[in-house]
Amino acid sequence: MSLNIYGQNLDSRLLIGSALYPSPQVMKQAILASGSQVVTLSLKRQNPNEQSGQQIWHYLQEIVKQTNGHLLPNTAGCKTAKEAVTLAHMSREIFKTDWIKLEVIGDDYNLQPDPIELLHGAEQLIADGFKVLPYCTDDLVLCQRLYDLGCQVIMPWASPIGTGKGLMNPYNLETIRLRLPDATLILDAGIGKPSDACLAMEMGYDGVLLNSAVALADNPVLMAKAFGQALQAGEHGYVAGIMQQRQTAHPSTPTLDTPFWHQNS
Amino acid sequence: MNIHINGKAYALSHEIHISVSSALTLHFIEPQQSTFAVALNGDFVGKTDYDTTMVKNGDSLDVLQPIQGG
Repeated sequence: MSLNIYGQNLDSRLLIGSALYPSPQVMKQAILASGSQVVTLSLKRQNPNEQSGQQIWHYLQEIVKQTNGHLLPNTAGCKTAKEAVTLAHMSREIFKTDWIKLEVIGDDYNLQPDPIELLHGAEQLIADGFKVLPYCTDDLVLCQRLYDLGCQVIMPWASPIGTGKGLMNPYNLETIRLRLPDATLILDAGIGKPSDACLAMEMGYDGVLLNSAVALADNPVLMAKAFGQALQAGEHGYVAGIMQQRQTAHPSTPTLDTPFWHQNS
Repeated sequence: MNIHINGKAYALSHEIHISVSSALTLHFIEPQQSTFAVALNGDFVGKTDYDTTMVKNGDSLDVLQPIQGG
């Protein structure tokens, strides 16, 4: 069973961020431990006299080579479709990929995506030949509109970026899965615990994108491994078919030939 | 003329305009040693257009480089 992103089959269903780790070395170890084959990164202004970005860039290139993986540049920090489109073009030139995690923020407090700008940006980027992976809220109609535009991959949030609050609205997320059965759905942002990722997979999601949950753990490398295992457990659970909940108790042990203490009842 | 590169002001007394290639030498000591992409006044400028795209008075250049991201 593999994750399909715009025709690319990947062994791991985990997409992982490259930010917030204690050091570049820990970042590399954690990403490798996660088994992920998709690593997100970004573009920013940097002091030309410091080569910190260049160092990270070398590490990420090594990781991608080692995992036979892919880079997924994002448009973090953009607040309009125009900004995101410009940044996507800059990313494509540097990273030599037409994949773009489209991120257009509409509110500074909870970093909530702007649905209107997101749609405008997605439409323009698809016209420009990009394969768009939009980061969006868990709004069914928005996800449907993005899918109708041509986004084969949709990435609704679990909760606001970096909060670790897990799946705020499981009903919304389940409904999106139900209504968009052919879309590749990746739960993005707000994941805190491996069980959050497992739950998304049990719902039938195709993958999970996370960063803070691993990078901010006491032991990022071990947490990365835990997330890899959690995703696999959830995926197997979904594929195996989860039993229906029942309103009343049913004994697991056969009731036929119940032992002596019921003989006189 | 006055231009901005990544928000930093540069006053160039003699020029009316300069190419993006020339402007980049104000920012980097050795541009060819770095990985970056450029936007002029918010519009992407591809590498093949650095020599022919002109930066004029009041223009703003963004020079972005890879960094960690989520």
